[in-house]
Amino acid sequence: MNPMFGQDGQRVLALITGIPDLTAAEVDQVTDAWKQVCPSDRAKAWARLVQTTTEQERYQILAAASVARREALATAHRLHRMDWAFWAAMSDAAAAVAAGTRIGRHYDTLTAPLATVMPPLAACPGRVPVSAADFTADDRRTSAVLSEGA
Amino acid sequence: MKSQLTDLPEVFPDATVIVDSDGRVIQANAQAASLFGFDHRAMSGMLIQALFPGQPLTLPSRRPGPQDEAGQHLELVGSRSDSSRFPAVVAVMPVKIKQVTAAIISIRDLTDAQRTQFVLRRGVEILMSESRDRQALLRHLIRAREEERLRIAADIHDDAIQLMSAANFRLQQLRLRLRDEAVREILDKLQEAITLSSSHLRQLIFDLRPSGLEGGSLGPALRAYLEHMHSDTGITYRLDDRLSARAPDGIALLIYRNVLEVLANVRKHARARTVAVELHDVEDGYLIRIVDDGVGYDPADIEDRPGHLGLVLIRERAELAGGWCRIESSPGTGTTVEFWVPLGVSSTEPGKGHERAG
Repeated sequence: MNPMFGQDGQRVLALITGIPDLTAAEVDQVTDAWKQVCPSDRAKAWARLVQTTTEQERYQILAAASVARREALATAHRLHRMDWAFWAAMSDAAAAVAAGTRIGRHYDTLTAPLATVMPPLAACPGRVPVSAADFTADDRRTSAVLSEGA
Repeated sequence: MKSQLTDLPEVFPDATVIVDSDGRVIQANAQAASLFGFDHRAMSGMLIQALFPGQPLTLPSRRPGPQDEAGQHLELVGSRSDSSRFPAVVAVMPVKIKQVTAAIISIRDLTDAQRTQFVLRRGVEILMSESRDRQALLRHLIRAREEERLRIAADIHDDAIQLMSAANFRLQQLRLRLRDEAVREILDKLQEAITLSSSHLRQLIFDLRPSGLEGGSLGPALRAYLEHMHSDTGITYRLDDRLSARAPDGIALLIYRNVLEVLANVRKHARARTVAVELHDVEDGYLIRIVDDGVGYDPADIEDRPGHLGLVLIRERAELAGGWCRIESSPGTGTTVEFWVPLGVSSTEPGKGHERAG
């Protein structure tokens, strides 16, 4: 176990150390993919993340998100790609990887942009992918409302 | 076979030995001899089990199967010639030369890595402990600020505004006795100044203790503030209030304070023409999004510098209430602040009541 980033610390480290290797085209790919994710789904994923974790776990998850964000920011600077969607995407992905299976289907929401460039890391170990049918009618309604405002 | 393998261990950077299928060392490199404290010639013929006493080190059989070909990585405890022990990671790779089965075993001493990990772990524990202290301090600061605001608002209401109202009343009485028009004009200006000051003080009281929130009407309170900001600065606004029910007083106050903190930054730094404030019901809580079209900033420049207590407080208020916060910007793209707070947590008791086992 990695004391800093929780039980999936090794995967978080792999993600963080992989960020500087991304090319400018990959950064653009992640940035575009992040903008495709429904803001409501993302908000719900983060809400679930903070609701289903203890204070200690939350600390580790936020630490993972924060370090990944910093690394992404530095990479964006180096590649002259200054769209904050990129570091937000990496921060989301690191949080999800650190949280692992406990956020259920929301894992995919937060790692979808990462999956475009690091598919093995974005896959949640030990979980069967979910289908659209797993989303409730209420989820879809709120998503629609927030998408309008995005 | 021995002649073919004689120089093989020397090409490996790690401590490496070659053993036959009985587990006897055929060859050891200088790093292995140094690691275990033997003369490397003396290691020939030793049983590998003597180097890792009492531990499961399975060697490839004389007829290796598919599992042997994959090799194995083990974390074991090595034993030196002086009987001292060390943690090691051991890789066993089967080889077959001229129908003879052997194994190349490389050994890496983990002592330094474990020490480093221990130091890192301690460092992280200290950081976490300090972070908890910092959070406790911030929680105290947030509560103290709220209490202080209420006290100041009460003092202004009970003292300064009463005195100014009394002064205004006496000026009106005095004005009735004055016959000199020039003096009456001066008195009128004095009364105007007092009335204006009273109005400013009443606005200050509202900012300190927003009475509109007491009924949970967050939307109208924010609209009033945005309207006031628009008349002061010319910044236009869009308020999209999609909350289906009124927020509890504590949560409404937390949201109101955070939005005002964000809007204060918009006024001071953003050079924005427009700001959009959205309130949504999301996942048993409230999602607030504030987006301006200002100059934005480079987080790499700003975030490492001290003096951004406002941004820190926005994040901490949300997190202490069991929520989350995102503040993002880049040059030329404005700034977006999003925060979510759960419905079920009182802002005066942040962090309580939302912990669930993962």
